[in-house]
Amino acid sequence: MINSDRLLELKFSVLRGLAAIFVSISVAAILIFIISDQPGNALFQLLLSPLGNERQMWNILERMIPFLFTGLAVCVMFSAKQFNLAAEGSVMLGAFMAAMTAIYVPMPPIIHPIVSILVGVITCGLLMLIPALLHTKLGANVLVSTLMLNFIIQFCVQFVLVNIVADRSQGALMTYQFLETAGIPAIRFNTSYGLVLGLAMVVVVSLFIYRTRWGYAIRMVGLNKEFSAYSGLKVAGIIILCQVIGGMLAGMGGAVEMLGFFDRFRWRLLPGYGWNGITIAILAKNNPALVPFAAFFLAYLSRGAVNMTIHADVPFEMMDIIQAVIFLFFAAEKFLAGYRQKMVVKKAKRELGEDLPAKKGG
Amino acid sequence: MRGITKIYPNGIAANQAVDFSVRAGEIHALMGENGAGKSTLMKILMGLEQPQEGEIFLGGEKVSFASPQAAIAKGVGMVHQHFMLVPSLTVAENMVLGIEPKKHGVFFDRAGAVALTKEYSERYGLPLDPNAKIADISVGMKQKVEILKALVRGAKILILDEPTAVLTTRETEELFKQLVILKEQGFTVIFISHKLWEVKQITDRITIMRGGKSMGVHTTAGISEQEISRLMVGRDVMLSLEKEKAEPGGSVLNVRGLNYTNQWGNRMLKDVSFTVRAGEILGVAGVEGNGQSDLVRILWGFESPDSGSVAFEGAEILGEPQSWLRELGISYIPEDRMVYGAAGGASIEENLISDRAWGKRLNKGPFFNAGAIRKECDDLIKRFKVLARSRGQRVGMLSGGNIQKVVVAREFSAGPKLIIAEQPTRGIDVGATEFIRARMVELSRQGAGVLLVSADLAEVMQLSDSLIVMYGGEVVAYFEDTSALTDAEMGEYMLGLSKQSAEELGRAAHD
Ligand SMILES: Nc1ncnc2c1ncn2[C@@H]1O[C@H](COP(=O)(O)OP(=O)(O)OP(=O)(O)O)[C@@H](O)[C@H]1O
Ligand SMILES: [Mg+2]
Repeated sequence: MINSDRLLELKFSVLRGLAAIFVSISVAAILIFIISDQPGNALFQLLLSPLGNERQMWNILERMIPFLFTGLAVCVMFSAKQFNLAAEGSVMLGAFMAAMTAIYVPMPPIIHPIVSILVGVITCGLLMLIPALLHTKLGANVLVSTLMLNFIIQFCVQFVLVNIVADRSQGALMTYQFLETAGIPAIRFNTSYGLVLGLAMVVVVSLFIYRTRWGYAIRMVGLNKEFSAYSGLKVAGIIILCQVIGGMLAGMGGAVEMLGFFDRFRWRLLPGYGWNGITIAILAKNNPALVPFAAFFLAYLSRGAVNMTIHADVPFEMMDIIQAVIFLFFAAEKFLAGYRQKMVVKKAKRELGEDLPAKKGG
Repeated sequence: MRGITKIYPNGIAANQAVDFSVRAGEIHALMGENGAGKSTLMKILMGLEQPQEGEIFLGGEKVSFASPQAAIAKGVGMVHQHFMLVPSLTVAENMVLGIEPKKHGVFFDRAGAVALTKEYSERYGLPLDPNAKIADISVGMKQKVEILKALVRGAKILILDEPTAVLTTRETEELFKQLVILKEQGFTVIFISHKLWEVKQITDRITIMRGGKSMGVHTTAGISEQEISRLMVGRDVMLSLEKEKAEPGGSVLNVRGLNYTNQWGNRMLKDVSFTVRAGEILGVAGVEGNGQSDLVRILWGFESPDSGSVAFEGAEILGEPQSWLRELGISYIPEDRMVYGAAGGASIEENLISDRAWGKRLNKGPFFNAGAIRKECDDLIKRFKVLARSRGQRVGMLSGGNIQKVVVAREFSAGPKLIIAEQPTRGIDVGATEFIRARMVELSRQGAGVLLVSADLAEVMQLSDSLIVMYGGEVVAYFEDTSALTDAEMGEYMLGLSKQSAEELGRAAHD
């Protein structure tokens, strides 16, 4: 259901996004000039070094993989205005469940990673029933319950890891190695085929949100819940559905990241990808089709920030500043609205042609 | 206002070189079809929208208002077509929003706000309960709050955007008395309305708009109703409705013994019973706030009654979800179109399919059938004459009347067996009103039952085949045939001065 008005809006939001990124990087540049002894080098590391060689570029794609999944997960949930933050916990739980399957359940290659991912996906889908049902049945605030849920998950995983599944032969806390059959093969360097799965999910979720009745219902509930109920949409069901889907996507992200990049599970804390997913959803304006761009940008920036930290004297946190500035501009609806208005007026006048009487003096 | 041109961000030229002038101390009508640009012009005067071209003069002085605050400071106040009240606050709190009286310079003076509200409400004869929450009061009440809000802020020029659309005849007449008094006190009133007789009755001059342009100014006395509508619509309009006599069939909706107490312990419905039969329009008349909206909310499953039953074609529907009601073939045009009737942020297309998104016709396997949806929506937009650039336009950007048309288009096209129509022609121009009423009659003659709830007495009396009157939560009168009914007789019942006997009322059940 794309149409000319929406296309125009899309164009402007992309333009606005680029402008916001430009401004934020300018702000970062100014800060770098103030705090760094070698600002030229620091800036180079942040902005250009990720393009430095093939390995660097593949690393950007590698970093993008979990972002794709969590970005999509948050897009789906935020589309229905369900401010569910448990994508974070889902990543950890999904990764952990996939790891368990990868270690303890022998299976032939190819089947093994697929089943492991599915185990993570299903567990996290079920997990999201908790906040969703608490909300629809008892009216519990999703934001609060999922914020807490994240930490419950973290501590439960930690508990099981420490007390039950840890490999005691190792100096640090970690599980046994995954079975050979369970890994997701790499396309190149450390970038796994999870990237392909992520991009495929972008297509699937975009189609789901914009081309199916369920996606439609999710968006309508987000736009106006009263209207949706009045129209006969099953609002409670939709609210549950979007969170279950969100949990499944985030769980998939965790599983893919775990099997594609690691050979043992060793996360003791929440990995943070869920929070990045929120940034991405906001940058993408909840539009799944824009998620790859936002995810790429964030991945690029984080690679650059890492390089800057290693090779220059600016801390990694510069990335947070850039993100914050982008947020500010995105939140500011009026940013560039004047420019947009001018273009629209020009077009409208052209359409009206002679219809519009000459401006009168006075 | 001179040479005003306004182009919205979506490229719609809502005003094109419009000249508009009002004299101090007059009541000036602004008329025009839905989407003619009336609200836009007034929003510009209020500083809510900025025009691309044109100038505004106030008392000979050139002004430009960057914000409504600037306009209010110069004594221009507006009551909007869609209310701008905070639902979670009380009447008094809304009244003083932004100009809160302070205690000791810092604390909000609640008692002061209540006193102020009482004072103005008495001075201008608009009775209100200052402590009621906005969310809980009727639309008619909200209207009064809005008017008082403007007066409290010291408005000298009062813009009323379709103020009477939500009022009953009696309330309207009261309002008119007040407007005349205001006028005598030197206030200037700009009055937007689609109702010709109102404009004829109280205004001095009329500016007519069509398609974003001004069609000139006329003195009210010097122009006939027919001429006004011709200037507005560009053709002659039939104002009276031809309808054949109803031949009611079996009962579609049986409401029996409904009792309802709302969450504040007010008894809103008392033993309400009636029957809607196939092929007839049953009107529900009554002053707003006498239980009609509670009744409709119960029928639509948004509220559950203390006792009683509601049966559709013999099967109980109380407690059933809305999706089931839709499936049974019940349509509902809600009173509050911006909350229930439409999603402002969604496109026209998305609003039109909200009740049928699961239908076989609009789906192909798991996906929407984009072609079928497009066709259906274009067809509805054309049939119901929704003024829009495309079906992808956001509903929130349409003019008030056109939003209503979108709602009506969806509900009437669902192939309903029962239509619950609550204020169906509110805010719709004469041309479209004529069209919607005719469609409603047509649907009923094809066998649908219609329950018509309207505060517009003329509308219920003209459209209904039979009619019940509600007062204080009770059905106080039932007329099987409305053709011989007079306004005076209706007034008696509506004000609670008389009540029919139990036996007479029992006929409404058609058992
Ligand atoms: N905020 C907005 N953004 C874009 N277009 C708008 C906006 N508000 C109104 N329009 C468009 O401008 C035109 C004029 O609208 P306006 O609200 O002024 O009409 P109106 O004369 O008040 O009609 P009605 O009697 O239906 O209230 C319409 O075509 C409408 O779609
Ligand atoms: Mg209007």
